[in-house]
Order: sequence, then structure tokens, then C-alpha cells
Amino acid sequence: MRLEKCWFCSSTVYPGHGIQFVRNDAKIFRFCRSKCHKNFKMKRNPRKVKWTKAYRRVHGKDMTKDSTFEFERKRNRPERYDRNVKEDVLKAIPKIAKIRAIREETHHKKMKQGKHEKLRREAEKELKQGINMVKAPSVFQQDPSYTLPAIKVKVSQQKSVENHPMEE
Amino acid sequence: MAASFASRCSRVGRSLFSGLSNSSLGSAHEMTHNNYFSQQQRTFIQMRTVLKVVDNSGAKKVMCIQALKGKKGARLGDTIVASVKEAHPNGKVKKGKVVYGVVVRAAMQKGRCDGSEVRFDDNAVVLVDKQGQPIGTRVFGPVPHELRRKKHVKILTLAGHIA
Repeated sequence: MRLEKCWFCSSTVYPGHGIQFVRNDAKIFRFCRSKCHKNFKMKRNPRKVKWTKAYRRVHGKDMTKDSTFEFERKRNRPERYDRNVKEDVLKAIPKIAKIRAIREETHHKKMKQGKHEKLRREAEKELKQGINMVKAPSVFQQDPSYTLPAIKVKVSQQKSVENHPMEE
Repeated sequence: MAASFASRCSRVGRSLFSGLSNSSLGSAHEMTHNNYFSQQQRTFIQMRTVLKVVDNSGAKKVMCIQALKGKKGARLGDTIVASVKEAHPNGKVKKGKVVYGVVVRAAMQKGRCDGSEVRFDDNAVVLVDKQGQPIGTRVFGPVPHELRRKKHVKILTLAGHIA
């Protein structure tokens, strides 16, 4: 039994679920549900659709490189059954999941923090460079040369033309 | 003033605007219709369905004239009776002959034994004789593993890809 990944959203396709499309060059596209299949038929790019894993990876929303992902990999060589190994694996799964959750949380935190810091640094730099352009509002009141003189402009009012040739 | 004009327009040109909107809708529909072909609901292989022949028997295209099983028509893995519509000039099978064929690819999805579904790009057939032995000696493109359950092992061994 093999758990495949959905071609569109990269979620797990459990046996008996979804549909698979076989192209004439024998490439198999597996979809987890009709939503993904329909999006594929609409020729949407999963990298541009925001709810897919591909989008999140491309845009740095999710953790991509991590040693916890190494466990979940496609292997073409079937593992020989061993009771002890199986027990160890079953024990390790929740541990790995926990570690991954923690790492993902820190990744998200770091990502958000990094953005905040960057914005602040940029704003500070801009302020330093352009401090000569910023003046207190009282200066404008004292010196009339900074402000434009008030000009009155006459606006000619157009007469409305009541002519509608489309009218019946 | 603008408001009055708008109201007048809506009152006056209702028929005109409705006509316009109708035409625009029609054009949009046509545009979708062009793209619609790939997304239309695929159906059974029934009488007058033209299928591609994916072996080297000499036929290029056949038209289904009878599905040997099923009331609605044939599906993936079923056998059909077909008439050869296009053929290579010096092949085993000539144009106009009535032949048997196994549907090895169908655009309509078919349920698999585990409950998932499989769908192919096109409708394709491999020509066989009455005993179920393939006429050609090669099979092109992917074929489904369900053919084994239908006792068409020879086609499976000839095929390059099994999906």
C-alpha cells in the first residue's frame, strides 16, 4: 500500500480516494479530490493558487528544508518486515511530528519577525536620509515663501445640452 | 443631471441594451464552448464512437458499431465490434473490415478495485481476433492493469507502460 501525493495540492492521497489521470506519455497525475482535478482541468498552475502546498513553498510561507522531511520519502525498494523496527518506527512517529510542529512554529515566528525588523530598518534609514525635508509645521506659518499663495480660479459653468437623439 | 440621463437611458433603451447584453452573452458562451471540448462530460464508447488504434495491425481509426457487453456501451477494458475507417495502405487490416477490439484507453473515468478512479487522455483500442489474441505485434502508449482481470495478458506484455 502506498500513500501518494496529490499532484495539485500535495496532500496525501489515501487508497480508494480521488482520481488519477494518465496522459498519453504515461505520466500519471493523481488528485486527492475533485477540487484538485477540476483545477487541473482548468489548467491552473498550482504554484499560483494560494491554497496549495506548492504556492506556500514557493513564497516561503512554509518550512521547506528540514531533516524531519527526510523520513517521508518515496522508496522504490520495499522494506523487509521486522517487528522490532516496526515498533521503533511507531514510537518515533509522534516524536517526529512534535519536533516538526515546533520547528514550523519557530519558522513562522522568524518569518514574521524578520519582516517587521526589515520594515523598521528601512523606515529609519529613510528618515535619516530625508531629515532635511521634514520641517516643523510652525515654520510654514512663519515663512510665507514655503507655501503657495492663494489663487482664485474662475470656472466657467457649461450649459447642459438637452439633446438625446437616441430617444424614441 | 447625470442621474436623470441615466434614468432616461434605462427607461428608453431597455430593449436596445437587452439586445446588446444578449449578444455579448452569446459570444462569451461561444468562447467557452471552444474550450469546453476538453472539459465536457465523457461518456461510454457507443455506436459511432471513433477510436484510435494503438497497435501495428494497420488500421488507424475504427468506429464502434457494437459493444459486446453493457447496455449503455463499452468502457475501459471492454471488447467492441468496430469497422475500420482509416488504414495504412499495406497493413494487415484493410479499410471497411469489421474487427474486434479491446478498449485500452478511455476518456471516461472508470472505478478501480480500491475505489479510486482512472481516466485517460483519449479513446484508444487494440484490435484482437475473435479468440482475444491481438492482431498486431506492438502496443503503443499506456494501458491499464485491469486488462489482466479481463484475460488480456498478451496486450499487457506488449505494452510499454502500465498505469
